[in-house]
Amino acid sequence: MNKPFYRIQSIVVCTALILMLAVNAPLASAVESKDVILSTTTSTVDSGLLDDLIPLFEKKTGFRVKTIAVGTGQALAMGEKGEADVLLVHAPASEKKLVDTGVVINYQLVMHNDFIIVGPVADPAKIKGKTAADAYKAIDTSGAIFVSRGDDSGTHKKELSLWKDANVVLTGKPWYQESGQGMGATLLMASEKAGYTMTDRATYLAHKANVKLEILSEGDKPLLNIYHVMQVNPEKFSKVNTAGAKAFVEFMIAPETQKAIGEFGKDKYGASLFFPDAVK
Amino acid sequence: MSVKLSVKNLKLMRSGRDILDIEEFILNRGDVLAIVGPNGAGKSSLLQVLSFLIEPDTGIIMLDGETVGNGNRLAARRKLAMVFQESLLLDTTVQKNIEIPLRIRGVSRQETATRAQEWMHRLGINCLSEQRARNLSGGESQRTSIARALAMKPEILLMDEPFSALDYPTRKSLLSEMGDILHTSGMTTVFVTHDFSEIPALTHQVAVLYNGRLIKRGDIQEILGESAVSVKSWAPWDDGAGSDFLMQ
Amino acid sequence: MNVFLDGFQSAFNLLISMDPDVLAITWRTIHVSTVATFISILIGIPIGTVLALTRFKGRGFLVSLINFGMGLPPVVVGLATWLMLTRYGPLGMLGLLYTPTAMILAQAVIASPIVAGFSIAAIQSLNPKLLLQIQSLGATRFQYLMLLLWEARLGILSAIIAGFGGVISEVGASMMVGGNIRGYTRVLTTATVLEVSKGKFELATALSIILLMLTFIIVSLLSYLQQRKAGH
Repeated sequence: MNKPFYRIQSIVVCTALILMLAVNAPLASAVESKDVILSTTTSTVDSGLLDDLIPLFEKKTGFRVKTIAVGTGQALAMGEKGEADVLLVHAPASEKKLVDTGVVINYQLVMHNDFIIVGPVADPAKIKGKTAADAYKAIDTSGAIFVSRGDDSGTHKKELSLWKDANVVLTGKPWYQESGQGMGATLLMASEKAGYTMTDRATYLAHKANVKLEILSEGDKPLLNIYHVMQVNPEKFSKVNTAGAKAFVEFMIAPETQKAIGEFGKDKYGASLFFPDAVK
Repeated sequence: MSVKLSVKNLKLMRSGRDILDIEEFILNRGDVLAIVGPNGAGKSSLLQVLSFLIEPDTGIIMLDGETVGNGNRLAARRKLAMVFQESLLLDTTVQKNIEIPLRIRGVSRQETATRAQEWMHRLGINCLSEQRARNLSGGESQRTSIARALAMKPEILLMDEPFSALDYPTRKSLLSEMGDILHTSGMTTVFVTHDFSEIPALTHQVAVLYNGRLIKRGDIQEILGESAVSVKSWAPWDDGAGSDFLMQ
Repeated sequence: MNVFLDGFQSAFNLLISMDPDVLAITWRTIHVSTVATFISILIGIPIGTVLALTRFKGRGFLVSLINFGMGLPPVVVGLATWLMLTRYGPLGMLGLLYTPTAMILAQAVIASPIVAGFSIAAIQSLNPKLLLQIQSLGATRFQYLMLLLWEARLGILSAIIAGFGGVISEVGASMMVGGNIRGYTRVLTTATVLEVSKGKFELATALSIILLMLTFIIVSLLSYLQQRKAGH
C-alpha cells in the first residue's frame, strides 16, 4: 500500500458517479420538438385534472408536455415572453390584452368552474344565501375577517372585481388580510382564523376535510371562473413549438376531452369540478 | 575530501531585513556540523535554504558539484532528508509514515518494506509500527521522524533542533543512539541546536550563525571551550567573555 | 401528532409497495443531488486548495466572495440560472430549462462555494510546517497536493457533507429551473411543496420522511467514511 488514497472504494465510487453523470446526458439532449411547455395556474394543477388529461394527450399525440404551474401573473408573463408554447389560464380580462396585442392566437374557451364564498359555520356576517355583492357588503359591515390570496392570481383578480362591484373600499380595513399564497394555504389560513374567503370549488372540495369552512354563497353569475386555452403566437416568438401547441389546443376542445373534463371528480367528490364549454 | 554542498554569496531577505548573508559555506562528505546561534539568527532559514525548500534571493548552491536551480530542485530535495523540531508526521501509522516518503521517492515496494523494518528496529519503534501517529508520545514521534529521514538513505541529513522538544531522559538516549548511527554510517549531517550540551555526543565541528552571518566555524573546543562562565550566561557570540564550558 | 404518525405509516407503505411515482421521485432526488455534489467537488476542492495555499493580489477578495457564496440564497441562484437558461436568454439555445440537467446546474452552483469555503478552512488549518516537511520528502506538486488533501480529509469530507446537505434539501432553485414536472423534474422537496399546496398533508409528510431518511443514510455513509479515515 503506497498511497492511502488509492483505494478500490474510490475507484468504485468514481465509476458510479461517472455512470450517473452519463445517464443524465441523454435526458438533457431530449428532442426538443417533442416538448410542449404548458404554462398554467397552480389551482388548475392542484385540482388534479391535468394529471388525468395530460397522459391522454401525450399518448395520443406523442408530444411530451412540460406543465409549469405558477401564479396567473407568471403564466401570462411567460406567454408574453414566448417562454411557453401554450397557456391554460382563467383570467379573461387579462387574457384579452394578450389576444388584442397578438401575443396569443387560437384563443379557445375550454371549461368553467365556479368560485364560492366560504366561511365559518357560525357565519357572523350572515352572508348565507346572498349574492356575491351582497355577501361582500355584509362582510364589510360586520368587519368579519376575510382572507384574500393577494397574489395577483386569477382568483385574486376575480375577488377584487367583486369587491369593486360591491362598492367596498378595501384600503385601511383591518379585517381584510392577504396571504400572498396559493388557494390551499389561503383556505387553511381562513379556517384557522375562522374567517371568510373566496375560493374555487375544486380546491375547496380537495381541502374540505382539513378546514372548518362551509359553502355560504354560490351560484351567482359573477362567480363563474372561465378557462381558456391559447397558443403563443409563433410569428412573434420563433422558438415556440407550434405543432405541439396547436395539438394541445385542439385536444382540449375535442369532444372526448370535453367529456372527460365533465366527468372529472365525480367519483371522488360526488360532483363535477369543471363544466366543459367548448363549442361543439 | 569531496565537497558535498557548497554555497556562495547567499542572501535571503524578508520584509527588507537580511535574514541570511553568507559569503561562503562548504560541507564536505562525511562532515557532521552543528550550527548554533541565538534566536532569530537565521538557523532555521539556513536549513530550509540548504534543503531547497526556500529559494534565496541571491546565491549559488551546488550539490555534488552541480548548481541547483529550477530544473533540478526536486531531484536535489530527494537527495536530502529533513527532521524538524516537531515531528510532523502524517495522520497514519508509524510504518506508513516511513514507507510513504520512500514510495514518493520511487523506491520499490520490496525495498521500502525492508528499509522501514530496518530503521524502525534501529530506532526501537518496531513494536509501534501499527500505532497511529496521533497516539505517540513526543519521544516516539521524534524517533519515527528520524527513522523516516534515515530510511530515505539521504546523502545529507538536516535536522532543525530535533531534540529540543523532548524531555531529558528521552533526549539523552536518542542523542547517544543518533551519535552511533552517524558515526557508523558516516552520513553528512547538518544540525541546528541551541543546547550546546547536545553537540559533543554527535560531533566536534561547530559553526556559529549570528544575524544571518556565519561568524565562526571550527572545532568544538576552539569555539566553545575558551570561556569559563556557566552555559546560561555565556554565548560564543559575546566576544570578549570567557568561560568554562560545562559538559554533562 | 396524528399527521406525523400517519405520515410515517404512509411513508412506510409507499416504500414497501414500491409506488412507482415515489420511487422515481426518490431516485431522481438522489441522482440530481449526487451529481451536483460531485460537480461541486470537482470545482470546489481545487479552488479551495489554490486559495488556501497561494498568496496573490485579490486573494482576500476571492475568499470573501466564496464565503459570501456559502450564504447565497438558493432561490436567488435559481432565479439567476432560470434567467440564463430561458429560451431567449444567453444560454437558451441549450434548451436546458425545465430539465433535470438545469437542476443539477443550479444545485452545483449552490454547493460549489460551500465545498470551496470549507476546503479552504480545512487546508488552512494544517500546520504550515507540515507542508514544508512534505515538500522536504521530495514530493512532486501532485504528490504534495494529494498528501495535503489526505491530511485535511476530515475537513474536506465535512465540506462534501455540507455541500450535499445544502442541495438535497433545497427547493427554491429546483422548483424554478426544474418546473416540478411530473415524471420528469419532480424531486422529493418540490413534490412535498406541491402536496402541501394540494392539502395532502399525509402524503407530504410521507415524502418528507423519505427525504429525511435518504439524507440520513447518505450523510451517515459519508460520516462513517470521514471518521473511519480519521482513525476513530
